[in-house]
Amino acid sequence: MRKFSILLKQLYFQKLRSKSFILMTLLYVAAITVFMFWSDIKAIFVNEEDALEVAVVNETTVDLESIFNSTDDVNFSFPTESIETLHANVKEGNLDAVVLIAEENENLSADIATYTPLKLNDQSTISSLIQYAGKIYGIGNLNLSAQDADRILNSTPNVTMTNLNETIAGGKSEDEKQAGMWVSYLAGIVIYFFIMAFLSMITTDVATEKGSRALEMLLVSVKPSTHLQSKIFGVFLLALTQMAIIFGVLIAYVVFTDDGAKWTMVQSVIDELSITYVLYVLGFLVLTIFLYLIIGALFGSLVSKPEEASQVMTPAIMIPLIGFYVMLSGIGNPDTLLIKIFSYIPLTSGMVMPMRIGATDISAIEPILSFLVLILSVVACYLLSLSFYKRSVLTYSSGGLIQKIKTVLKVTT
Amino acid sequence: MTLQLQHVVKKYKDFTAVNDLNFTIGTGEIFGLIGQNGAGKTTTFRMILDLQDQTAGSITWEGTPIKKINRDWLGYLPEERGIFPQMKVEEQLYFFGHLRGMDRTELKKEIDFWMNRFDLEEKRNDKAETLSKGNQQKVQLIASFIHQPKFLILDEPFSGLDPVNRDLLKNAILFLKEKGMTILFSSHQMDNVEELCDHLCILKRGVSLFSGSLLDLKKQYGKTKLTIRTDVHQEDLAKMAGVKEVKKVRDEYVLTLMDESFAKPIFEVVSNGSYIEKFSLDYLSLDEIFKEKVGGEHA
Repeated sequence: MRKFSILLKQLYFQKLRSKSFILMTLLYVAAITVFMFWSDIKAIFVNEEDALEVAVVNETTVDLESIFNSTDDVNFSFPTESIETLHANVKEGNLDAVVLIAEENENLSADIATYTPLKLNDQSTISSLIQYAGKIYGIGNLNLSAQDADRILNSTPNVTMTNLNETIAGGKSEDEKQAGMWVSYLAGIVIYFFIMAFLSMITTDVATEKGSRALEMLLVSVKPSTHLQSKIFGVFLLALTQMAIIFGVLIAYVVFTDDGAKWTMVQSVIDELSITYVLYVLGFLVLTIFLYLIIGALFGSLVSKPEEASQVMTPAIMIPLIGFYVMLSGIGNPDTLLIKIFSYIPLTSGMVMPMRIGATDISAIEPILSFLVLILSVVACYLLSLSFYKRSVLTYSSGGLIQKIKTVLKVTT
Repeated sequence: MTLQLQHVVKKYKDFTAVNDLNFTIGTGEIFGLIGQNGAGKTTTFRMILDLQDQTAGSITWEGTPIKKINRDWLGYLPEERGIFPQMKVEEQLYFFGHLRGMDRTELKKEIDFWMNRFDLEEKRNDKAETLSKGNQQKVQLIASFIHQPKFLILDEPFSGLDPVNRDLLKNAILFLKEKGMTILFSSHQMDNVEELCDHLCILKRGVSLFSGSLLDLKKQYGKTKLTIRTDVHQEDLAKMAGVKEVKKVRDEYVLTLMDESFAKPIFEVVSNGSYIEKFSLDYLSLDEIFKEKVGGEHA
């Protein structure tokens, strides 16, 4: 245990002080800062444009002024001048657009006159207001009472979900699914980025020690199993440290900016999450990172020098990439056969299964089964790696990954 | 005996790296394991260090299987040179020392002593990768015995060192021996082996050709190396009875005799009317014995 702790400390503090780790962490923090303060940053670089000046001429008998409310982007006015005068104002640049609303065959017609074409956003804003005005006009024509008109416009259906499959314990509400979807994406993204960064770190570290022959000196006093464990836990601790820094900064931004508005939003998402779901996400996240670290250490032990590390890492990097894209494919429909399959594959289940748990109504047995498969895979991979690691760390060979494995088997059995 | 190898065999699928190897090393002794490249020296070291399992046979330390002894009793300098490239020299030595259970006070004393002895004082805070090859080797060597192991294995410790550093290392090895350390080392430089070793083992393709004291090995060949400085011609010397080979080395003739007993008749013939400035009968050097024993088939 003493040797494990010495090796772990050495790895942890050496990497913590390394330029690459500091830069990588700062980069993540910078990305979060940009994301959180995007509107402020954008305002610095993009000139604030004046609000669009739009004149609305209502030739109908229905009062539509309350619909066209001015915003920061569009300023609506209701002048009484003739349409010709207003058009002249548009040409002279005093107005950006004139909206003429008239009655035509018991329907509302509108004409938007501009000199310089409107931007898509502004055009959409005006069009949607006109459409709403059309509904009001239509209801007005039906001679309904104000209450009746209000009921038509504001009625919302009361939707309840009933699942007749008894194996599924109570369906989730839409809010719960939405929250689950957000959290599962976050978990997937965290897994993906951490695997990419720390898989490379552990593989290169083992390869460097092996290449420098320092490993041979270490293994005289330390068992290969202790060495392997120290690498896995050391890099995992580093990943946790980086995660803590990143989430610390993120939480600070969320809590202390916008007068807590963002925090209220996050809390509404958290309120929809069950403890079981959070535990599942954490479990999948930790085990998936562990699984990749074990594989990374094993691959590092196969190469003879650090320059070869990237060569053996390629297959391991491809798998989370596939998992990541499968997870992204679930944005539209998280219940496809592809997603179901990948939610059981140990190397990708960490990214895909939390999405299925959070955003779909799956039976309780499915996540348990997938989690058990992942646990068994971690244990099996650890034992297999350990047995192989003992032999590969002192075997030097050239060629590709398969060739290296063959060489290790040939010279050690 | 401290270390004992009995009938040790290491087999791979289609290749036997070490075959029925037997030798013993006494406490506080320097033992040389010599052989050509691929003779099985490093494999033997790795088996002793429990880095590889032997296929058969036993390796014991004071009667206890080597796998069961405290690993901190062992020290090892691998053949290939290298240390943690990014770590500072002093930091590196503290790390290896701590790993072997030493506390900071003990370590400071040892590090100060060896840094001074190996003339590395000014390099303490330098990163290992910035040191010269020779200095890196010295740091690695210190790292291998900083914890004062009972048994130290040095795989080719002299390779790549200049004559000054080679002497430094030789003296350090003798110093460690005086402190009671048992040392096993391999080298291709036979003069170093001859100078340092009490006993040795010659390996050829995994098979031991000889194991015992250096003197016993030399006695096997007898005093068959005759060096003469005389005005007798080389051709005449070559014709004399019992002479296998005559070589002229500068102003001397070096004769290889079939047997030590031929020396006296040669002396009588040469001294009869000829001038003799030097007549010296010696054992063969280890280098010559090694070439004879191992190199013969490969030459």
